[in-house]
Amino acid sequence: MKPPRLADRLLQLFCAPHRLEEVQGDMHEEFAWQVKRLGYRRARWRYWREVLGFLKPPAGWPFAVKRKPYSTTNQLTTSMIRNYLKIAFRNLVRNKTFSAVNMLGLALGMACSLLIMLWVQDERSVDAFHANKNQLYRIYMREFFSGKLQGVIWTPGPLAEELKKSIPEIQYSTPYEWVSDQTFSVGTKINKQATNTVGPDFFKMFSFKLLQGTPEAALKDRNGLAISRSMAEVFFGSPEAAMGKPIRFDNRTDLRVTAVFENLPPNSTLKFDCLRNWDAYVADGNDWAKGWDSTDPLTFFMLRADADPAKVAAKIRHLLDKFNRDGNKPFHTELAMQPFHEYYLNSTFKNAEIDGGRIEYVRLFSFVAVFILLIACINFMNLATARSAKRAKEVGVRKVVGAMRSILIGQFVGEAMLLTAFSVVLAVLFVGLTLPVFNSLTDKQITLPFDSLSSWAILVGLTLVTGLIAGSYPAFFLSSLNPIRILKGTLKFDAKSTWLRQGLVVFQFSLSILLMVGMIIIYRQVEYVQTKNLGYDRENLIYFPLEGDLGKNFDILNRELLQIPSVKNVSHMTASPASNGAGTEGISWAGSDPNDKVRFTPVSVGYDFVKTMNIRLREGRDYSKEFGADSSGYLINEAALKVIGYKHPIGQTINWGGRKGTIIGVLNDFHFQSLHTTIRPLIAHLNTRQRSGNVIVRIEAGKTAEALAQIETVCKKLNPTFPFTYSFTDQEYARQYQSEQVVSKLSTYFAFLAIFISCLGLFGLATFTAEQRTKEIGVRKVLGASVANIVGLLSQDFLKLVAIAIVIASPVAWWAMSQWLQGFAYQITIEWWVFAVAGSLAVLIALLTVSFQSIKAALMNPVRSLRSE
Amino acid sequence: MKRSYLGEFEEIVLLTVAVMEGGAYGVAITHEISEQTSRSVRLNQVHAALERLEDKGMLKSEMGEPTAERGGRRKRLFTVTAYGRRTLQEIQDVRATLWTRLLNPFKPATSL
Repeated sequence: MKPPRLADRLLQLFCAPHRLEEVQGDMHEEFAWQVKRLGYRRARWRYWREVLGFLKPPAGWPFAVKRKPYSTTNQLTTSMIRNYLKIAFRNLVRNKTFSAVNMLGLALGMACSLLIMLWVQDERSVDAFHANKNQLYRIYMREFFSGKLQGVIWTPGPLAEELKKSIPEIQYSTPYEWVSDQTFSVGTKINKQATNTVGPDFFKMFSFKLLQGTPEAALKDRNGLAISRSMAEVFFGSPEAAMGKPIRFDNRTDLRVTAVFENLPPNSTLKFDCLRNWDAYVADGNDWAKGWDSTDPLTFFMLRADADPAKVAAKIRHLLDKFNRDGNKPFHTELAMQPFHEYYLNSTFKNAEIDGGRIEYVRLFSFVAVFILLIACINFMNLATARSAKRAKEVGVRKVVGAMRSILIGQFVGEAMLLTAFSVVLAVLFVGLTLPVFNSLTDKQITLPFDSLSSWAILVGLTLVTGLIAGSYPAFFLSSLNPIRILKGTLKFDAKSTWLRQGLVVFQFSLSILLMVGMIIIYRQVEYVQTKNLGYDRENLIYFPLEGDLGKNFDILNRELLQIPSVKNVSHMTASPASNGAGTEGISWAGSDPNDKVRFTPVSVGYDFVKTMNIRLREGRDYSKEFGADSSGYLINEAALKVIGYKHPIGQTINWGGRKGTIIGVLNDFHFQSLHTTIRPLIAHLNTRQRSGNVIVRIEAGKTAEALAQIETVCKKLNPTFPFTYSFTDQEYARQYQSEQVVSKLSTYFAFLAIFISCLGLFGLATFTAEQRTKEIGVRKVLGASVANIVGLLSQDFLKLVAIAIVIASPVAWWAMSQWLQGFAYQITIEWWVFAVAGSLAVLIALLTVSFQSIKAALMNPVRSLRSE
Repeated sequence: MKRSYLGEFEEIVLLTVAVMEGGAYGVAITHEISEQTSRSVRLNQVHAALERLEDKGMLKSEMGEPTAERGGRRKRLFTVTAYGRRTLQEIQDVRATLWTRLLNPFKPATSL
């Protein structure tokens, strides 16, 4: 016969713990009595009633409401909290060096992490501001050529229209050409503007704010032009004044301003000053854009809000099959789609699928941020545990007086939080100071987002997390100490705690060495890329667009330029010397496989091309006016020769799009693209009637300024309606490695910061050790040890740790950096000395840090250290 | 009045504890009161009163022996403190004085 279990549970739950035993005992006794009196059933009912009686007492009744804790001393009263704070402050002030080292380390680490966090946030915000963000996609194609499946972002011109026509889920679509600088004029005002071409849906898809005009009408007219606020201000004074006004394009077509949009935000990947109508562009001599064979623009589209992206992806996959653009190839070009806002960070292809890109740098730096913060936290833990001997007595007394373990943990974690909070303030200050430098380094416009609530939340979160990580170990360690042993003075710190401390130092230095090796290798690869012999001479080579009347008058231009004393050679070419991404498959030769066409990079050039570029000829000759039949002669590079396979190439025939010609020369391989890609087969032909592309001019070294001035006068004379703009090949080449350069610089700074923070920790630890071993050092000195002996003794413990760190970090660093180098087709080899340098640097820095303290300890007069007993 | 105020129910509980001389604990007190006064007294009321009396310093308690029917739990045995006894005495004295000043005592003396 037992009382109802549930009721009993309820009682246990609600009754004051210190009264539970007697109350429950009474209840049970009463129950047993009632069972005898009334029977089991009614007794149970009564029991329930009694329990409920204990549960709903009016105010002032003892049970269920007034609950007394076991302990009679309350440890969280305001006076206790005041005491905790006071002790915390006293400890901070008493150990000034420790506190400063601690806070500085933490603040630097956090400042670094904050900067990286800001950068990552900024990277992630790119293209994410469009209201229709989740419905916007871009197309990429999976093509089969040169015997391989490859991912391609260039798409055929009619694709955008076709998508909208054949897939009902697609609401809007637009082609997006490549930005080029075009000349516009209004009256006497002439200016070059970054120009692009899009379909009429463009402003309906993307959230670019229109100051004038409507999204529907912005690009509807063939002669319409949408311009930016700044362009409107340059030509018309204000956006309002610009609307509807005529503007002359390329000195041959009159357009009309049909919309003015707000200047583009910095976090947009689409960048342009003005947009032309796509149909007008196609009609303007771009017939290729009507066919399915040629590819050039990007294609963007927007799904309807209720569409299922997976279904659309399945539908578009074989959309191109009906156009039979692949002939009899074993593979038909497939279409695939990628969310538009992901394309900035994920843009590289692997096996014709999107695989990574800039996101790898974002991830890399996120890791670095966490690592550096971790290093700073470890410093904190290390120093706090090292100091625990001094705090141990306090812990002992507190425990004896009645502090519970949880309260002590709270106290130490709270102290860590306090210190972290100070450091956060310091860190924000650091970030504020370094942000301008950081911005110019990364080419961004990041500001401290004090106005957004989330950034404050992040700061508070950072404080809490860092404080918790940094404070947890010391808190648990100190609170676990046995008060009797502490107060008796027999407390010895066992091997476990030093082992952990040493482990932390090893971890810290491993991370630092990892960063350092990474820094050296990235730096060397960037250096290698910048100084690599490209196969042509990129110094003193300038180029400017062949535009306006220059094409017509090229012979005069050529003659006049060559009369300038500092100009050595002049030629022209399609594309630019530093970057040529074009492709053609229409090349055949004796023995070529018609079903597997190789993609060549085509280039049309002028006379003296090889001489001007300063490319070495393997065989044959340059295009020259002295030979008559050069217009049917082709130049190829070594990569092309390898594909074609002629033994004696000079004089052999090649068929390019129906035009038969002979090979007149073979060029040594030269890099006409970035070093991320291998050198592709190249074919050049002579086109003396070229009306587009670039004029390339080789000038004499050291006479750049005067050469440029004279070239400008010549151009102004021959082509007065176009402003003269030029580029240096070496600068344009370097621009292709901008992100690598930024990464190189950032990793340098971060690696040194990591080392610095680690050394702060080591410094603190060395101070502590020296202090702990004062007596030992005194005794040793009395017994005849020299200063060198003692310095060695104190330093070797730390050097051992750094040595272990080197052993651990080297293979990890080697693996990580070989992964990174995979991204380059032309890469440096990782050499052993990199690890040696990083390692010895770490050893050296550690030694310097430690020796400062150990020399100080070794020089101390033993009388003073031994007297105090 | 210097002493703490004592409610009527508290006074009965205190008196009962005094009467039971050492054997006073929750259930026993409850049964005793309901027998003596024919009231229906609930255990929680008694416990509340005991707690308050202890707070006021009129009762003191210690844990007694566990018994089987209590599931091996100990009982809390209450005894009246000197202060409690004095308080009861004072109440009794006040009443006695007042009764003696009654000019026409009621015929059959009614109980409490």
